[in-house]
Amino acid sequence: MTATTAARPPRPPHTTRPPRTRRLLFGNRPTRNPLLRAIASHSVMIMALVLMLYPLLWMVGASFRPDNQVFTTLGLWTGDVTTENYTNGWGGGDQLNFSRFFLNSLTLTVLSIVGNLISCSLTAYAFARLEFRFKRTLFALVIGTLLLPYHVTLVPQYILFNQLGWVNTFLPLVVPKIMATDAFFIFLMVQFIRALPTSLDDAARIDGCGHWGIFRRVVVPLSIPALGTTALFTFINTWNDFLGPMLYLTEPDTWTVSQGLASFLDATGQSEYGSLFAMSTLSLVPVVGFFIAAQRLLIEGIATTGLK
Amino acid sequence: MRRTARPRAVIAAALLALLAGGCGQPMPDHSPQELRGQGEIGGDIRFSWWGSASRNERTNEVADLFEEEFPGTDVKREAADWGNYFKRLNVQGAGRNMPCVTQLQARTLGDFTARDALLPLDPMIESGAIDVSDIPEPVLDTGRGPDGALYMLPTGAAYDALTVNATLADEAGAALPDGAYTWEDYADFLRAADAGLPDDIAPVNYQGGLPNFFIAYVEGLDQDLFDGQRLGFDKRLLADYWDMWVGLHEEGLTNSPAEVAEQPPSPEAGYVAQGDVMSDSGPGNALTPVQNALDGAHPGQEVVTLPLPSGPEGRTGNVLISSGMSIPRNCDNVPTAAAFIDFWANDERGGDTYASDNGAVTNTRLLQRQLDDPELPDLKKRELALYQEIVDRDPASLLYPPGYMAVFESAFSRAFDDVAFGKKTVPEAVDAFFAEANAGLAT
Repeated sequence: MTATTAARPPRPPHTTRPPRTRRLLFGNRPTRNPLLRAIASHSVMIMALVLMLYPLLWMVGASFRPDNQVFTTLGLWTGDVTTENYTNGWGGGDQLNFSRFFLNSLTLTVLSIVGNLISCSLTAYAFARLEFRFKRTLFALVIGTLLLPYHVTLVPQYILFNQLGWVNTFLPLVVPKIMATDAFFIFLMVQFIRALPTSLDDAARIDGCGHWGIFRRVVVPLSIPALGTTALFTFINTWNDFLGPMLYLTEPDTWTVSQGLASFLDATGQSEYGSLFAMSTLSLVPVVGFFIAAQRLLIEGIATTGLK
Repeated sequence: MRRTARPRAVIAAALLALLAGGCGQPMPDHSPQELRGQGEIGGDIRFSWWGSASRNERTNEVADLFEEEFPGTDVKREAADWGNYFKRLNVQGAGRNMPCVTQLQARTLGDFTARDALLPLDPMIESGAIDVSDIPEPVLDTGRGPDGALYMLPTGAAYDALTVNATLADEAGAALPDGAYTWEDYADFLRAADAGLPDDIAPVNYQGGLPNFFIAYVEGLDQDLFDGQRLGFDKRLLADYWDMWVGLHEEGLTNSPAEVAEQPPSPEAGYVAQGDVMSDSGPGNALTPVQNALDGAHPGQEVVTLPLPSGPEGRTGNVLISSGMSIPRNCDNVPTAAAFIDFWANDERGGDTYASDNGAVTNTRLLQRQLDDPELPDLKKRELALYQEIVDRDPASLLYPPGYMAVFESAFSRAFDDVAFGKKTVPEAVDAFFAEANAGLAT
């Protein structure tokens, strides 16, 4: 106790100031005015932000233009403003029903998140904490699946799910999530769990916990940042996924938002860009909302799992 | 030892069972009667097509009419846009799970006949299950495979056309090409227009890499595009064609290759539709959306479609690109699928409802009804009238080899890009294209 309070951190050695370099904005002398420095740095950041957001803002602006004026300007706003794209796009035809598409996407996303969180965390716990035969080989195999392009397994998977009678249901898109097939998330959580002190497991074991107890009472509560990162990435991946739903959800009643958006375009017929941009704008709302809600967990998760 | 052997054996057996299950997708065993399209019409069939929301709506209406006509039938519908439709269909084909009525195009038919994935429709025509009496024989031939059997019933015939902003041409003082104009006439038209066009508007897109434009050049010269699974024309012909485009570009008659690379694929977002370029080759049935987009971008300007340039002897360069319906071998309800195709090809209510949305309807009786319909929009009538004009000039029927789109089209565009962006000379690009296309088509 005494030692900890008495010990003071050593002062950093005195270093000589580095030679001044020529500043482009304020001449040879760097300004010491904090207000000027803040204005300069914020101006640069705001300009960068505007540049990055410009395509998004253009899309939002275009969603309020009449369909045949969508491409008439690179500016953000024109005189003619209409909300027809939103009303037509949301449910303009007998096949277009974005209420249904949003509900389908939401269902699929929630099930995928739950499946990934449970299965990947359990698998990661096993690889991080348990000792069993062929553990290293199996982990290498799991990580090896990251190298396997999705397109390689596309046809065999389709044949399998078709044989099972799962085509045109959510099962081909959800069941793999329950079976810990997302190696990236397993790796992410293994890294995180390995960083947790094993003494906590020992303490829990002394208190009578088995593996399930340690996992539920110790590992999961301490792994919230990694679980949050997994949930966020799963949300974004599932919400934006197009190839999987296109293959397995063929009837319009089962379509997701991404399929609904694709239905506005066709190179051989009449496309509806106004409705496309309107529904694209709406489809971004859940992703942005979820990101804002979970960004603290995402940053912690990335910072604490060594991911770059 | 026994403790380790048993789990391994179980795992190996499970893997083998999975593999066997995956490979063993059974095909229905069709009776001779079913192969003739005869039998009870009822139950479920799956029907797939490509298109966007507006076409989907029309297609659904026709499918509803079929269900009304044949109570007890249920048409399960599967739509996707052009590019994604074929991605999905290829996977479905590999899994032997293609819809009972599958829409195909002549350019993609070879990919499926080569896999023996389709049933011949000739026995169904002979039995009367499918009536083709109102479809012209040359149009019907576009649905045949290399063995001469009919695998796709053409229901719509599209064509590419020269799309010209007539207002810009008129203001520039250039008269539109007339009749069976040649490539040289077209170049003269571009030169005449260039003198009077504003500086920021190019007379033509730099489209030497557009396969359909090149096909018109080959057909006009009465050359073969393909010889079986190989290219049917010689290198000199392609070099002349690309030299012509390089010449037009060097004269300042085209826009830049970078601009062409940035052009969105849908016609209404293209440069002609936005009033930035005076002319280009495009789908003839895109006249309506292109004019609609031009109305928004430059109100008052008018766009017209003309046949593609002809050869020096007056031979038409246009070819018909037919779309139609096929029945895959995995279909387990062939009589209902045949009844659906027959309904689509011949029913007047269906024809009126669909209104030639994917190429002009091939049934001449239905086509005449549409032309006579006072409520059919004028632009749509102009699309159909040009189709008739092209058919009257006896266009060639092309047999596209398997892999046409994946190999020929992509290699062709890439090879010309190398020329346009200065990475290769024309002879180098021609050599590279021939090597890639012949190797790819042969496999």
